[in-house]
Amino acid sequence: MSELIFSDGNDVTAADIPAARLGTRFGRMDLSSQLALLAVEPLAAHFDSIPRDRIAIVLGARAGSLPTDVIFWEGRDAVGGLSPTLFTYTLPSAAIGEIAIRHRLTGPNLCFVGSSENLLSEAEDFLRRNEADACVCVYMNVITPAVNKFLANFEDVRASAMLVQLDDRHLNAPRQNPP
Amino acid sequence: MREGEISGSAEHRSASCAVAIVGCGVISATGNGTASFLTALKNNTSCLRPNERFTGPRFQSNIVGTAPIDPASDNPAHQLASIALREAVSQIGNRQSAIGNFPQISPARIGLVLSTTKANIEALERLSDGRPCSTTARRHLQADLLAADLAAEFGALGPVQNISNACVSGLVALMQGAKLIQRGAADAVFVVGVDHLSAFVIGGFTALKAIDPQGCRPFDQDRRGLSPGEAGAAIILVRGDFVNRQNAAATLPLLPQGGEGRGEEFESFSKSNPLTPALSPFGGERESDTRTSPLITIRGWGSSNDANHMTGPSRDGAGLAQAIRAAMSAAKLQPTQIDYVNAHGTGTPYNDAMESAALRTIFGDTIPPTSGIKGMIGHTLGAAGVIETIACVLAMQERFLPGTPRLNNVAEGFPPSLVKEPRAAKRLDHILKLNTGFGGVNGALILSHE
Repeated sequence: MSELIFSDGNDVTAADIPAARLGTRFGRMDLSSQLALLAVEPLAAHFDSIPRDRIAIVLGARAGSLPTDVIFWEGRDAVGGLSPTLFTYTLPSAAIGEIAIRHRLTGPNLCFVGSSENLLSEAEDFLRRNEADACVCVYMNVITPAVNKFLANFEDVRASAMLVQLDDRHLNAPRQNPP
Repeated sequence: MREGEISGSAEHRSASCAVAIVGCGVISATGNGTASFLTALKNNTSCLRPNERFTGPRFQSNIVGTAPIDPASDNPAHQLASIALREAVSQIGNRQSAIGNFPQISPARIGLVLSTTKANIEALERLSDGRPCSTTARRHLQADLLAADLAAEFGALGPVQNISNACVSGLVALMQGAKLIQRGAADAVFVVGVDHLSAFVIGGFTALKAIDPQGCRPFDQDRRGLSPGEAGAAIILVRGDFVNRQNAAATLPLLPQGGEGRGEEFESFSKSNPLTPALSPFGGERESDTRTSPLITIRGWGSSNDANHMTGPSRDGAGLAQAIRAAMSAAKLQPTQIDYVNAHGTGTPYNDAMESAALRTIFGDTIPPTSGIKGMIGHTLGAAGVIETIACVLAMQERFLPGTPRLNNVAEGFPPSLVKEPRAAKRLDHILKLNTGFGGVNGALILSHE
């Protein structure tokens, strides 16, 4: 069986965000999406050698979109009401959309809430089924003080990413289609 | 392992096998149970109604799809999910084992995949307002904990996953359930989709001006947006080789034999459709062979991302077309073999136009009969892919094409094959189910009658 090959992205924390230079759009994103984009950024060098429609994204979010949910819902009594922009980020998978847009990745997506235990196995599954040639794995552990009013957990704000591929032997193999 | 690091099991077995659907459960605006859902499908009933809870300037419309659950509950997500899953499990036999007619499947080989976008967001609203909220309701703010509790409650001791891929979550959860079975991680999987009505979500769609004040009208020339809905929906997947002639009694016992849901509403459908008596169980021929009918299987799937816009679909439908092509390739089918398309059909101007464009790309001028049921139950978000797939299963089982409730005048340029009213189908061997969502995600799933 062909081996998995890993390429590291960034391990980032909230402290890395102010120095980021990823355009004006980046500034309008929620915290989770910003962290995810920063974590993935070093992987962009690999993307040019792979068809963009053959790159999958698998994302795990420790607290789902709760960090953004709390901020969004705090706006319910504000002048102007709830923010349409923030509402977009009240989906745990929002960061996948931002990664896909920035890097033009049109392959399949998968988003889990909770621990990171499924990420690599599902990335491997995309590759072995030949649904993708490479898979971006991102894990976001965003437990802010605001979130901890609702979840008793260890506060942490960080994200990490890696690119997973199979070695060349598999890339030349015929497609494995489900029956 | 430190939280924040990426982990995962490298265990992988390549086991390709058919994945059969053997049980379904539904609670939605159509009522509690698969039978009432089928009744609404056959009568093309819109169950969207005003809900006083969402009246006022904070909401664009109070016309929503409300399910019959306790409105005072602090945990509607769990309530909807468990009601639906209980029905699905009851359909496959008694509860002597966790999976009824499949005693050869041990609890450790039963997985659960939950699909939800907001889990029990009711808890956030309550806690923010200082209203009472139980520990369990607070716990179910987290989709992974809701999934774990459902699995424990229903005896699924195998792999547990939760999927939150926006409005494609339900289809992705079905794909994941099939993958778990095909790679040998489970012999059966409970796939559960759920999302409940909340001020949080309806307020959010109001902020986006995405709600049709008159109730959604998918594919209509006057469509102006979606209608929120809530639902719990469950599908039980089983390894195809466990469902064979030896335990044929377990094959597709989706509908109760007689009783609720087989009353006047069905009569009216039968009378208004001359073809129905020959094709429907109520008409005769299939009544006796319901329990030996061929398997309904998940035959293939595909997913993609538009990589274009966070809330708006790509105008040309290229992303959805890519997902459909992947599904067709996996299923080894040609476009001409698709007998029916169950569309996402939100009723928003851009979604319906994009979907029409994608169908034209794949099928050209010969788009199969196509319909969407969000005018019946609303957009049920994380439950949408599961409940709409159940509509497809029921359509296959009863051999009819569901209609498109609340569609009056088909918009110019949309598929002429749009089905406004339900009608009998001569052949329903392969159905294509579509969903799309925020963040540019697209999903396509193919069901086959084998």
